[in-house]
Amino acid sequence: MYKWLIGLALLVLTATAQAAVNVVATTPAMGMLVETVGGDAVSVRVLAPADRDAHYLQARPSMMAALRGADLVVSVGAELEVGWLPAAIRGANNPEVFPGRPGYFEAAAQVELIGVGGPADRALGDVHPAGNPHVNMDPVRMAEVAHALAERLARFDAGNAERFRANAQAFDREVQARLPIWQARVADAPGVVFFHEDADYLAKRLGVPVLGYVEPLPGIPPTARHLRDLVRDLEGRDGVVIRAIFHQERGPRFVAEQLNWPVYALPLDPEVGATADDYFDLIGQWVDAMAGRL
Amino acid sequence: MTFLKRALPVAVLMSLPLPVMAQDMVRDSQLPGARLSPLPLGGSQQVTSGSAFNPDISIIVDTVYFNEFSGHVDDPAGFEGGHSHGHGHDHGHGLDDGFNLREIELAFSASVDNYFDAFVMLALDEHSIEVEEAYATSRNLPAGLQIKVGKFLSDVGYINAQHPHDWAFVDRPLVNEFLFGDHGLQEKGVQLTWMPNTPFYSRFGLELLQGETEGIASHVGSGRVSHVTVTPNPDTGNPERQRWRDDNPFNDVSGPRLITGFAKFGPDLGFDHAAQFGISYGYARGFQRDDLHSSLHYETWDGDAWFAGLDAVYKYSAGRSHGQGDLTLQGEYFYRQIDADFREFRFSGVNNGRLEETNHLSGKSRQDGLYIQGLYGIAPRWQLGLRAEALGLTNENALVEDDGFASFGTSYRYAGNVTFRPTEFSMLRGQVNRSDFATDNGEDGDGWSFMLQFQMALGVHGAHQF
Repeated sequence: MYKWLIGLALLVLTATAQAAVNVVATTPAMGMLVETVGGDAVSVRVLAPADRDAHYLQARPSMMAALRGADLVVSVGAELEVGWLPAAIRGANNPEVFPGRPGYFEAAAQVELIGVGGPADRALGDVHPAGNPHVNMDPVRMAEVAHALAERLARFDAGNAERFRANAQAFDREVQARLPIWQARVADAPGVVFFHEDADYLAKRLGVPVLGYVEPLPGIPPTARHLRDLVRDLEGRDGVVIRAIFHQERGPRFVAEQLNWPVYALPLDPEVGATADDYFDLIGQWVDAMAGRL
Repeated sequence: MTFLKRALPVAVLMSLPLPVMAQDMVRDSQLPGARLSPLPLGGSQQVTSGSAFNPDISIIVDTVYFNEFSGHVDDPAGFEGGHSHGHGHDHGHGLDDGFNLREIELAFSASVDNYFDAFVMLALDEHSIEVEEAYATSRNLPAGLQIKVGKFLSDVGYINAQHPHDWAFVDRPLVNEFLFGDHGLQEKGVQLTWMPNTPFYSRFGLELLQGETEGIASHVGSGRVSHVTVTPNPDTGNPERQRWRDDNPFNDVSGPRLITGFAKFGPDLGFDHAAQFGISYGYARGFQRDDLHSSLHYETWDGDAWFAGLDAVYKYSAGRSHGQGDLTLQGEYFYRQIDADFREFRFSGVNNGRLEETNHLSGKSRQDGLYIQGLYGIAPRWQLGLRAEALGLTNENALVEDDGFASFGTSYRYAGNVTFRPTEFSMLRGQVNRSDFATDNGEDGDGWSFMLQFQMALGVHGAHQF
């Protein structure tokens, strides 16, 4: 009996010792990055699918089950997941992934954010004075995050540290190689109207002017008056309208029809389980859309 | 960085230890909602983090317009005694006809130290402050264990642990209100939970509680029972003080008096669906209640009690903007049994008389209740809610004044509402309730009421549990 128990315990121990770093990523883009940097030394669970607005999710029991066994949680951060991730972490009885511990990683905390220190006044919408959280839409910042992530993963699996660093470096090189191509594709892009401030990082990175937003204030659905004002202000100019797939269709379509601009709906994240190439393809789609050639 | 630009010249003027202060300011500016503490006038010899350690604060204001526009209902038959409002004085569950400032929830949260996190929620109304919750949770226990210490809402069932601002309806479900209390099962004590590391969600909990919740662990303890009145002297007609005093028949039952246990399971249903199923049980080794009538008639119930419950929640996320197409189904059933000795006493004599027992019987009170509700996102930011409730499906030998034990019928309530959430921070809700309550006096227990609720949340962006 005892032998049997000891055998079982040993089995469990060796299984744990050999197991990959157990990572929970909040969004598919973060999952992609973990997969890219960690390779087969990590196993990744993604909490949110690509077709959801990661800001408006609800904590689910399955998230807590995933976080219970996690060594590391990788989030976009800057309050993007504020409505559900803290609750899911609290409900997971796993102190290893509490904010402030090595098991908690925010991408937004690794890079410089835009929109930091704006007024903390919710009369201006669902503003985030901590900065715009959508860093996953800037490949260059994602490469910076990849380096930081490599160092973090190394704390959990020191033996693979060099591999993590090399993978992050490879991702960085791919971004740098693609950047001039993307920039060239939008060189003469007249400008873009987004639904929400969710692709500002990409537009800024590639130098495409953001002419306005379909929503009147962050998190507030478009109003007729705001749409009319937007159309009046942009009358006679060229540009494109881009919304994320989970945003409502009507407002963007109205603006595009009135201005006779193309309108696109694109995901903000690649599919769950995406590779770096899938992520670059997605960025490529946004680039083409901004150029009006998707 | 604007903070820094503004603060630098001031700091230079005041010749403070500049580098340290400046560094603190930069860090402060990254904390959501954090502000720089004002620099003390005339300079200072102190480097301080000022208010940087302040807890996260949120304030939720809940206002309700209430109108009982047809009929009138008191407490459901068989449940009057288990309710602090007893005697039907304060009907409508604390709401007056017209405008009500129901509650202001003041919530604070912060890490205490490396070992504990803390949460405090105070509920304020216009006249009083109540401690809704004040607890610490452990930060370091291994193996999926967590300890909670302090005053908290028990995790039995589903809605019990939710604060009023989390509810999808204006009012608390009858089963929770009448089997436990006006604040649900809210107790001081210790909770230990364990989450095994399984591919599906499972959580087990044990709570050792003081046992003060009226519905399940009412406690009186040994003491005096007295009644004072003023009557005219039969001879002179002058007012004369009459007093009756005696020891009550209760023994002290030392706390903790209530122990509860629960288990919750949540299968992994992918990104679109989520479900959670729970069972809970509780045993109170003391259940004491007394009632002194102005007729010098004194009644006591003394025994113990237990409850058991089932809860289930299912949520569908449609993935469209602002909750459109989302569906939530939720239901709970609770059964309560109180095993008590019922004794009736009468104060004998004209004045200074003693208690004399006139009746003594024992019996079991078996009662239960359930609710089932559905919510659907009819449009972006708009939600439709329907709820059906039954209380006292079993309503046998309920504890009641005057009768000791008696059986009653079932009370029903139906609610429909529409909720509009302009943002995550404000909410407007209209609700119609149809009550069909059993009564103990043959009166009509039917009533319709209308409620309009406005709720707003200030401060940090809260995160909601499943």
